[in-house]
Amino acid sequence: MVIAPDFDSRPIISFQSVWKRYANGTEALKDVSLAVPEGDFIFLVGPSGAGKSTMVRLLIREEKPTRGRILVDGINLGPLPRRKLPHFRRKVGLVFQDFKLLPRLTVYENVAFALRVLGESRDAIERLVGDALETVGLANKGAKYPRELSGGEQQRVAIARALVPGPRLIVADEPTGNLDPATAWEIMQLFLRINASGSTVVMATHNREIVDLLRRRVVAIEDGRIVRDDRSGTYHEDLATSALRA
Amino acid sequence: MRIWRHLLFALSSAWQSFWRHVPVTGAGVLSITLILILGGASLLLGHAFSQVLDGYKQRVSVISVSVADQTPLTTVEDFEDQLRLQPEVLSVRFVSKEEELRRFSEDPRNQQLIEQIQGNPVPAKIEVKVGRLGDVKKIDTLARHWRGADRTDPTDYQGDFITNMLRLSSWLTIAGFGMLAVLTVASIVIVMNTIRTAVYHRRQEIEVMKLVGATEWFVRGPFVLEGVLTGLIAASLALGLLMLAYRPFVERFQSELFFVPLTYDPRFVSVLGPDLLAAGVLLGAMGSYIGVRRFVRI
Repeated sequence: MVIAPDFDSRPIISFQSVWKRYANGTEALKDVSLAVPEGDFIFLVGPSGAGKSTMVRLLIREEKPTRGRILVDGINLGPLPRRKLPHFRRKVGLVFQDFKLLPRLTVYENVAFALRVLGESRDAIERLVGDALETVGLANKGAKYPRELSGGEQQRVAIARALVPGPRLIVADEPTGNLDPATAWEIMQLFLRINASGSTVVMATHNREIVDLLRRRVVAIEDGRIVRDDRSGTYHEDLATSALRA
Repeated sequence: MRIWRHLLFALSSAWQSFWRHVPVTGAGVLSITLILILGGASLLLGHAFSQVLDGYKQRVSVISVSVADQTPLTTVEDFEDQLRLQPEVLSVRFVSKEEELRRFSEDPRNQQLIEQIQGNPVPAKIEVKVGRLGDVKKIDTLARHWRGADRTDPTDYQGDFITNMLRLSSWLTIAGFGMLAVLTVASIVIVMNTIRTAVYHRRQEIEVMKLVGATEWFVRGPFVLEGVLTGLIAASLALGLLMLAYRPFVERFQSELFFVPLTYDPRFVSVLGPDLLAAGVLLGAMGSYIGVRRFVRI
């Protein structure tokens, strides 16, 4: 069952006239406004250097906005004190292009790591990790090390780790960037299932085929500005059929 | 329960990291051991020399005032009362001519001399004990102005000796503190570098920890504990070596430099032990805390 995004309630992500200028003077984002309702699936697309990764970094508060407000689940990220940052990060599941798995730990331990950080009990860890590995189709590979897995399997482990604390928001930065088309498609199916179960997914990607096939919401960024926001969009504007300008 | 689980995680991470990077942690342990040996040895030596100095101080903090023959006993008693009124004076004792002669003759170095003298040429004495070494001079001045004092040799005050001793004592204290400060800074820098190497090896793990919502203390804890472990092992090694070497060193010193009354004091070792272990733990914790501060910032 697919849960339709709730456009009427408070958005889980809200960018309000956000500007980001780095110390070297680069203007990475210019007056960006965006609202993402709970349960939405959104692609951030655009050329390299357009500002996609900056948006991701702002979303997980690796960076602070120079101007404007960013609200995630009602939390204003700009003035959020450092001591409250860990509690905020636990609300967001993160998936990266390079997987960021710990090579010394097994698949099970990598996924369990996210729960150990939270101080969960051994019983809870066993149950939740089992469920997460089941979800990503790696229930029988818990004892393997990342080096013994394919790229797609490693990304599944990273997704399981992002899912295991039960976040309502998943942020993925180029999650299929290192994968062949078939594996990338499998990973996308996984993200769709996660989204269908109620989690909001924000994905920065260069993968044109996937964006065009899935016809989900597409936010295109160029030169630090949102140039297109299509509810059922494609990678490039000329392919868009049912555009909803932001 | 959650705190207990975090502590267990930190302990097991610290333990694993310590043994996984043995070449680095081992070098750190050895360096800190050497520093703590230097620190411990300087404390032991400082203690031994302060015992020697205390002995000298005890002796020179008593000044003897020679009483001229024919001085009436009432004059002596008046002066004793005057001395007792001085706030620096701890005690005043009169030593008669007879008692002083007996003391003189009991000293083996005076045996030949005693056979040649007739009658009792030694004067009676007033022995004055003062609280602080620096106050002896005041009593000396007072005694020299007293009319009952022996004109040829009124007191046994050794001004230069006392001044030099006070100077030596304060220099030793300053040098001790200076050396301890240098050693402290050196150990902290060594622990910082040891822990930074561990941080470098575990940078990926730290990054993941931060991304999944670990608090700064959760990330820092294992490194601080690793520093504590490094300091504790180094302090134990240093203490063991010092305990083994202390007695033979003092005995060797006593046989070769017999004129310096250095003594072995087992009680001081029991005081030094906990201090050295605490210093190891503290240095390890401080070094690692400072070392990882920049890297664990979320």
